Amino acid sequence: MFRLSKKGLEFVQSEMKRYETKRSAIIPALYCAQNENDGWISQDVIAHLSEVMELPASQIHEVFEFYTMFNKRPVGKNHVQVCCNISCAMNGGRELADHILKEFSVNENEVTSDGKLSVSRVECLGSCGTAPMMQVNDDYYENLTPERAVEILKDL
Amino acid sequence: MLKCTINGKQYAVPEGASIIEAFKLAGESLAHYCWHPALSVAGVCRMCMVSIEGNPRLQIACNTMVTEGMVISNQSHAVKDSVKWVLDFHLINHPLDCPICDQAGECGLQDQYMMFGKYTPEMAMPKQRKRKVVSLGDRVVLDSERCILCSRCVRFTEEITKTHELGIFHRGDRSEIGTFNDRPLNNNYSLNTVDICPVGALTSKKFRFRQRVWFLKEKKSICPGCCTGCNIKVSYNSKGVFRVKPDCNPDVNGYWMCDEGRDLCEKTQSVDRLLKGMSKYGEEKWQEGPALKFAKQACDDLSALPSSSVALVLTAQHTCEEFEALIQSFKSKFKSKKVYYWVNRPEDFHKFDGLLLRGDRNPNTVGLLQILEREGFKSTWSELLSDLSSGATQGVIVAAPEFPSFYPDFSEKLYELSRAKVLTCLTSRPIKDRELLPGQRWLIPLKSFLEKEGTFINYRGVQQKLGTPLELVPDAMTLSDFARILSGDWLERQVEPLGSQNVINEFMKTPMRGL
Repeated sequence: MFRLSKKGLEFVQSEMKRYETKRSAIIPALYCAQNENDGWISQDVIAHLSEVMELPASQIHEVFEFYTMFNKRPVGKNHVQVCCNISCAMNGGRELADHILKEFSVNENEVTSDGKLSVSRVECLGSCGTAPMMQVNDDYYENLTPERAVEILKDL
Repeated sequence: MLKCTINGKQYAVPEGASIIEAFKLAGESLAHYCWHPALSVAGVCRMCMVSIEGNPRLQIACNTMVTEGMVISNQSHAVKDSVKWVLDFHLINHPLDCPICDQAGECGLQDQYMMFGKYTPEMAMPKQRKRKVVSLGDRVVLDSERCILCSRCVRFTEEITKTHELGIFHRGDRSEIGTFNDRPLNNNYSLNTVDICPVGALTSKKFRFRQRVWFLKEKKSICPGCCTGCNIKVSYNSKGVFRVKPDCNPDVNGYWMCDEGRDLCEKTQSVDRLLKGMSKYGEEKWQEGPALKFAKQACDDLSALPSSSVALVLTAQHTCEEFEALIQSFKSKFKSKKVYYWVNRPEDFHKFDGLLLRGDRNPNTVGLLQILEREGFKSTWSELLSDLSSGATQGVIVAAPEFPSFYPDFSEKLYELSRAKVLTCLTSRPIKDRELLPGQRWLIPLKSFLEKEGTFINYRGVQQKLGTPLELVPDAMTLSDFARILSGDWLERQVEPLGSQNVINEFMKTPMRGL
């Protein structure tokens, strides 16, 4: 069973006071819980948050299902998100994603056998001027070529 | 009051009314899916577009308030064109297989798309496939593909029951309603979501695919499940009663009713009913016979006893008219003041679930108490028991509750009463042998609430009529019929046995199937 750490719990409680309604604190709470649960959110996590925040689980689930930033299944130590939205797609974002998947022989949204890497395609990450790009955990890597991306990922 | 013009006609509507409410008041038709008078405004279906003079853009009627002198129309070309396209968007992912959909015939989407002739979708892309028969608890089935995401059901669980089970998950064309972790939707008001669903997305497990709605007739009645007395619409045809829906009555139940109340309509089917008169002397076996003949014989048996030794026991699940008739006839026949009553579970009596269901599971407690008080009957139950032990009471007439399940002490009480030499039990349910001591026993079948006329008085004193009766168990009688037999002035006139012209319908012989 997932439980928020003491620090996490304090954070969620302070976020709940920060907004007019408790529902507004769902996104920060989910982020916090995702960080504490190895980068993904299980049904357990939502059930726990629903208890902690005293909100119906269905309302938290609605938010969780809506946003792609919340991972629906386990991710690797390094979670790679490749932008495939319009600017990146025009500059080879899709090919970039395919190349990474092939190079590390892993399927999209799955984790490599050593547990180090998972790759997913995402919508715009707001870095259109430096397309194509990818996000590894919290860091942006921009103006990529397939080879450069693989190099970066191997060096991590 | 505000003056406004709707489709060229002048109306006055109360201040604060939205345009859609003004249309309702004016009796003008306006397509809408997400708006419901008892729920908050969501404004998501975009079907209620209207044009307002002086406003360059069309507005949704549900979320626009009427202002003084507003000129509104939903007949213009612009409105019709807009509604047509909105409809097309609703139909992008909605399957157009109305003939096999359970909602066909009472579907808002079907009505509109037939009106606009949108038989073939103009969308070239294949439709999104979603979850089909999803069981949402004991009573409701979800078909996600048919859902148009109007969010009425979600708002119902948020605003009315406040149980928050339902939500809209995922996004874009993958959005669908559901419960967290597929938890069951098992609140006692779940079937209201089926009623308010404008399409065939939420259907009732019990009703789906059992009958086409155009083969059903509707009868208004009062729910006998508790002292709230929700107004109901009963759908039935020659094959029996199929479903119960709430009928709007702002003074009593608003737009809703509970699931337990709906289940009661099933209990009127003949599998749960006493169909014929029954009699037993001492240790003999039960004899079956026509109710009318047996009722007459039971009355003769009771009349043979000393007249002051006969008692009448009433329960609050019958109509005022029945109580009145039976008490008058009992008084004139036996010159006895031995009239008693008992009600269900006194410990639950004042419970209330906050919405509709009350602990007093009798539809007519107020009615019964009023009559008893007027007649001045004050005998207590312990007097009855001591009279039975001493032999001062030898004959008992019991008007048993229509729903003995609400009387946990029913068999116990009946056992106590069967210490009488002659026991006549008027009941709509079969009685088990072990509930009675040996003696002279009569069971007379009673009609259910659907089969009789009369008045229930609810907990607030609102008098409500049961509406036109149906015919389900032909041999059954009302308490008033029995009262007339007791007075001895009825049997002679009625030569034909009760309800001989009615056919026992074949549906009644089989219990209701589940999903």
